[in-house]
Amino acid sequence: MLSFLNIKKDYRLGAQTVQALGDVNGEIQSGEMVALCGPSGSGKSTLLNILGMLDMNYQGNVFIDGTPFPRKVSDATALRRSSLGFVFQRFNLIPVMSAIENVAYPLMLNKFSAKMQKEKAEQMLVKVGLEDFFHYRPEQLSGGQQQRVAIARALVHQPRLVIADEPTASLDSHSANNVIHIMKTLGHEMGTTFVIATHDSRMASQCDRCINLVDGLISSEDIQWNA
Amino acid sequence: MERLMPMSIKSAWLNLLRNSRRSILSILIIAVVVFALCCTGGFGLYTYQSLMKETAMSIGHITLSQPQYFEQEEDLPLDNGLSDYPMIGKGLDSIQEIHAILPRIEFNGLISNGRKSTIYMGTGIDPQEFAIKGEFLAVKSGNTLSPDSDGPAEKDEPEVMLGANLAQNLKVTIGDVVTLLSTTADGVLNAIDFKVRGIFSTGVPDLDKRQLYINVASAQALLSTHKVSTLSVYLFETQQTSVVQKQIDAKLSKMRLAEPVITTPWQKLAVFYDGVKNLYNRIFVIMGGVMALVVFAALFNSMTMSVTERTREIGTLAALGTYPGEIIRGFLLEAVLMAICGAVIGGGLSAGMALLLTFVDVRMPPAPGRTASYPLHIYFSAELFISVALAVAIICFVVAWFAARKGVKKPIIEALIYV
Repeated sequence: MLSFLNIKKDYRLGAQTVQALGDVNGEIQSGEMVALCGPSGSGKSTLLNILGMLDMNYQGNVFIDGTPFPRKVSDATALRRSSLGFVFQRFNLIPVMSAIENVAYPLMLNKFSAKMQKEKAEQMLVKVGLEDFFHYRPEQLSGGQQQRVAIARALVHQPRLVIADEPTASLDSHSANNVIHIMKTLGHEMGTTFVIATHDSRMASQCDRCINLVDGLISSEDIQWNA
Repeated sequence: MERLMPMSIKSAWLNLLRNSRRSILSILIIAVVVFALCCTGGFGLYTYQSLMKETAMSIGHITLSQPQYFEQEEDLPLDNGLSDYPMIGKGLDSIQEIHAILPRIEFNGLISNGRKSTIYMGTGIDPQEFAIKGEFLAVKSGNTLSPDSDGPAEKDEPEVMLGANLAQNLKVTIGDVVTLLSTTADGVLNAIDFKVRGIFSTGVPDLDKRQLYINVASAQALLSTHKVSTLSVYLFETQQTSVVQKQIDAKLSKMRLAEPVITTPWQKLAVFYDGVKNLYNRIFVIMGGVMALVVFAALFNSMTMSVTERTREIGTLAALGTYPGEIIRGFLLEAVLMAICGAVIGGGLSAGMALLLTFVDVRMPPAPGRTASYPLHIYFSAELFISVALAVAIICFVVAWFAARKGVKKPIIEALIYV
């Protein structure tokens, strides 16, 4: 489903060039939930940004269902809109929108009818256990609830790929477990591919596979947790 | 997309409420600017309207004369006068828009009280002019010319109205007799005694020193002529000037007249009106420019802060697949909402001020060269308000576009980690 070949990425820090990723290769199957693991500075966020088409300034190639990632910004935006979902560490909900409006936002971008937006957003919020919070603003929700809204937003338009950056890092253990459970359940139910950058061993242990990165390279361990 | 619009407006409104103090301040700035421009422009419009009425009332909406009348000095009085004026008057009677057609004779000479003489500028008018035009002169003492004083031949003592300063200079008062001397149309001197019937003020001291009015027939007797200088056409509505001018031209072309006759609208003779209008227009443009800069600077600061504070949100929207144009559109909508709120408040305030000034008598000091103060009024013009509101909305639009463009140009990854 998703394959990346010879991915290299350098940063310039003043006169110095720092290698963030050096010749990284890999493949992620459709419906797979993959964790990108590694210590800080290992390059997992850099790889995640490249796989999420948020960073287009890299060497190498990424293919989604055999098609190379677009290099044009507007094409990448269109592909993100239709085929990708995002879950961020700090939830990143739109503060002026209610939970249902936040969830409906990707549907609105994809030009679903108002009726469909409402129906699908409600269904999704029910699935993440927020049936009583449709019209709550983000500020009125707890961290765990906000992240559940974010997961609903990421999945509502049935994307092929969901990119999650440290989804449990800002949550207490109870909320984190809840979020992990929801992501795993819905991911399997909807057949969505997840790529998750995480430090959280509980999160990583729930994934089908963990790609371990060290100093910008995939380390020899490519643990098949659930193999 | 039909459903997207209300959601966009709702989001824009809620975004404005996020930092309500800053939004209120921005809206207030817009409101003050709209108020100031509507009031200044409204005062200008009132002044134009007043001057237009004053000018048209003074010289008539359309002046009929010989072609050379306004172009070259006459060698002898009424060289460029109209001899067929009664026929012209009858010929134009059928035009319904015309309120009155009044003959005028402009002349000058010396006025004497027997001991002292001074120069004067005289105007021979139809005494009906006072009834038709209303109070176009402020009568200080006595009365206006009698409508029945048709000519010196029928009356022993023809009448004159003197400017206040002229009467003071000659030390004459109502009932006194003065002698007017002038050159006749044949080039000889003539003099007639006139009884002072009224003393007036034009509001312009220099004019009050020289101006006098007698009736047309008396002026014709003094100048030994049957001609008049011009015919002044007064209309019911000033706006009909150009239409009626065409009708008059058409009728004149069919008449067989002793002299060629042309029509001149009041605008071409209103040098003072044009001067004031040009001056006010320039002041308004400069003031508008300064105000535009104030709005631009204040809003740019406010919008830039708003965009900067929402950098992470912009990054999120971009990550979810929102195009930069769509993100910018949200900010533009916020700016337009602010412009609408500010314009409505500013416009409402200026309409209220215009209404208030119709009840409260606030006087403006006399204009340069004049003696009388005048009431301060403001016209609330919907056209002016719409123009000002549109201009402000465009400024807000440009400001929001610049500020938002800066926000969406930031790379998504940088925007997402912005704190």
